[in-house]
This record gives sequence, C-alpha cells and structure tokens, in this order.
Amino acid sequence: MIRPSDMMAVVLARLIRDGETVFHGVSSHLPMVAMLLAKRLHAPHAVHLNIGGGVDPTMARQDGISSAGSNLWTDAQAAFSLADVFDLSMRGGLDVAFLSGVQFDSRGGVNASLIGDWQQPKVRLPGGAGSAVLIPTARRAILWRTKHDKRTLVRDLDFLTARGHVSDLVTPLCHFTMYQGEMLLNSIHPGADIETIANHTGFPIRYINLQRTPPPTQAEMAALQHIDPGDLRNIEFRSL
Amino acid sequence: MSKLTSLPDALKAIPDGAMLALGGNTLNRAPMTAVYELARQQKRGLRLVKTAGAMDVDLLCLAGCVHSVDAGFVSYESHFGLCPHYRKGVEQGRVQSNEHACYTVISALRASAYGLPFMPVAGLRESDLRKAHPYFATVRDPFGGEELTVVRALRPDWAIVHVQQADELGNARIDGPLYEDVLMTQAARRVLVTAEEIVPEGFFRRSEQKPQIPHFLVHSVVHQPRGASPSSCLNHYPVDEEEVASFLALPDAEALTAWLNDRGRTAR
Repeated sequence: MIRPSDMMAVVLARLIRDGETVFHGVSSHLPMVAMLLAKRLHAPHAVHLNIGGGVDPTMARQDGISSAGSNLWTDAQAAFSLADVFDLSMRGGLDVAFLSGVQFDSRGGVNASLIGDWQQPKVRLPGGAGSAVLIPTARRAILWRTKHDKRTLVRDLDFLTARGHVSDLVTPLCHFTMYQGEMLLNSIHPGADIETIANHTGFPIRYINLQRTPPPTQAEMAALQHIDPGDLRNIEFRSL
Repeated sequence: MSKLTSLPDALKAIPDGAMLALGGNTLNRAPMTAVYELARQQKRGLRLVKTAGAMDVDLLCLAGCVHSVDAGFVSYESHFGLCPHYRKGVEQGRVQSNEHACYTVISALRASAYGLPFMPVAGLRESDLRKAHPYFATVRDPFGGEELTVVRALRPDWAIVHVQQADELGNARIDGPLYEDVLMTQAARRVLVTAEEIVPEGFFRRSEQKPQIPHFLVHSVVHQPRGASPSSCLNHYPVDEEEVASFLALPDAEALTAWLNDRGRTAR
C-alpha cells in the first residue's frame, strides 16, 4: 500500500529539474521534503529557497515542525531572505514556486482567501501568502493539495486569489498539468481510477495522453526515509 | 542613555488604535510575551501588520484587541491548522481582514522605509485582491505607459521585535532568519525590542557579529528571556507545542484572562 504522502512527495520531486531555483513557503512540508528528495536524487544543483532565508539547507537536524523555521537556516550555505526571493521572482529569476490553496479551477485559478462573499465571508481562510505575486511571475507554479473532492476542485472559484503560470496540480489521486490554459489529467496515481477522479472533481476531466503515475521506486523510498525520518511529509494528512 | 524598561511600562506607551508591526514568522521568533502583555493591558483597535502571523494574531483577536490585520497569511502551520479566533473575528465582522500577498506587506513597509506614499508591485495582476481592497490601485507607468499595481504604504506606529541579544542602548542582534524584522524597524515610527539576553555596553564593539538593528532606531529595550515562547527562538528553544495546544483549548476571552494571569505569575 503506497501512502498518498509518499506518492505526492515523489511526484512533486520529479517535477523539479536540475539547476532550477525553487521556492516554497510556510505550511509547505510536502514541497520541502520533495525539494530535499529531488536534490538527493536527480537535481543536485537545484537551489532551495525558503522563508527563513537559508539557501540549500540539508535539514540534517529536524527539531522543528515549521517549513519556515530556523532548521532551514542552520546548515544552509548562504543567506537569501524572503524579500530577496520575491524580488528575484519579480525580475524573472525564479524558476519554480510551490503553492497551495483551498479551491482550484480548470484554468489554473487558485482561491486561498475565503469561502462565500468577499465582503461577508462565510469562511475566512489563511490567505494566499505569496501566491498573488509569485504565480504570475515565477516561470512555473506547482500546486499541491492533500484533498481531492468537489469542494476543492471546483467549476467556479468563490474568490480568485491568483492566476498565472500554473504548470501542475498534484493531489492524492492524480497529477494534472496545464495545457493551453486548461488543467488536463496527466497521470493517475496507483490505487486510483478515472471514475473516482471524475466523481470527486467539480470540473470536467479531460486528457490527451493519459498515463499511470509510476509508483515510488525503491531508491525514492529509501531516500525519503533518509531525508525525512520524522515523516514531515505526512503532517497535512495527519491533521485532516 | 539606557532604554531598558519593564514590558508593562514599555507597552503603556502604545495607545489604542495603534498600528503595530510584529516581528517573526508564524510560530518562529514572534514577540509573544509582548503580545501577552498587550492582551493583559486590554488594548483596543490595534491594526496588526505582518507577512505571516499565527498565535500572536490569534491571541490578540481572542482578547478583543484587534481592529484589522494586514497580512499575507494567518494560520498555524499544517499541524495546528487555521487560527480559530482570527477566523471567527473576521466572519462575525469584528476584525477587518486586509489580505495581502506577503510581498505587498514588504512593499508597503518598504514604501514607508523609503519615504514614499505607495510602491509599485510586479506580479499582482489577475487577482480579486485588487478589486476587494482599497489599498491596491492601478497607475500608468509614466515612462513606458504600462499599467502597474501599486500598494499603499504601511507606516506602523510601533514595530515590536524579539531578538537574541541587545544592549541597554537598543543595539539588537538577531541570530538566524531575520524575516521582515529589520525592515519593520525602518518603516515604523517607534521600535520596541525584547531580548533573550542583555549584553554589556561595548559588547558589540568587540564582536564581528554586529547588530542588524542600530540603537538610534530603538525606543525601548526589555529584558525578556523566553520572550518568543511558545514560538521558537534559534539557539534558545523550539516551538512549545503543548503551550500552543493549551492556548487553542481555551473556550473564550475570560478563560484567556486566567490563562494569561497564570503565565504572568510564572514569568515574575
């Protein structure tokens, strides 16, 4: 049985290419682990940027629960603050930004702000953090969400926090990619099937070249155990 | 001249309705003991500014101190989830949520630090944030003619930051992530520093690890060991998860008062 957190960490890691500059923010344990995994396996020269400002942490010490804390600083090889990361993206120098949200539409729109009417929200959400400036300026914005249901993948957003250069969306069931402005189903994770995905998605499922997501390899699983012994990649699933 | 004072005295200088920039990020090096004291003093109408807030914002919302929050993100990290008191405050119309992209908080603080009324922001294009909030506007680039989003300056009355080391004059040294703390001290009218350790005058002259915050920007210094707890403080303590959970278990503002009194006794 493959855990969704392991599958998602592996899929996110495979999307990172060697040499890219990559940023993740707060509450971003899956991308944080994915980045460490990619650097250990196929992308050793990818540059890991984060809110704490430590460049390329190894996170050999995992004594915190934060993805924005000083455990991303203590063994980093240089300092580059959050403001520096944003400035980098604004001038076109950030390759990948990992971001999340609560609602996603089929055109790469993200809502992380609120449910209901914006003047009198039914639910006040945490907010989009850097999304509104990073999604339009990073070369690629990779989205992830640990829930896959009709309240998450919707036909119409309650509020558009950001839209722009979204390239991928990874959920516990599958991997979507953007193609000509539309979110297409790209691959189905082991254990899921297209009927389940269609029944749990609020927009029509369309695809061109549908694949099965290759399960985590032995090398990927071994590397995951090594870099994330505390199972930080599963935090979002534990709190569901 | 020593600026060393007690936390209650330092915070008495902050009036109701003040705009406060709070240092740190989520559950990391937030000035929590100062936040507790703001709640004890029952400040009203505070306008909070921070890129990413968590228990600091949530506690002040429960205590009824908050008018508005200018932030990009308000939540505990995944482990503890949403900020329930902030959320309830906004949903019931008691707290105004001024949602930013984290970068627009930085840009708005930079505007004040640079002496400008607003700041152009690249990137904020297709987003309902622009239509929902009056602190965003569109202007035309006078040189290239393109449309640009601008954000209105945020000029905090006070910045409150917690640091590892300070001297009595106000020179303050942060170890590890700076977050937006240094910028906040440059954008705000006044600065309060709480410090794990007060070092002797002249200590920093002999150190090559110079303070990032110089004395002349600082108005008050408070010696406050564990002043960021239950958030983390590098080289001193990690997040105190039990303490965060104990706060989140409080049913109402009355229970918070008793909880804060308990913490006051422990601290003194």
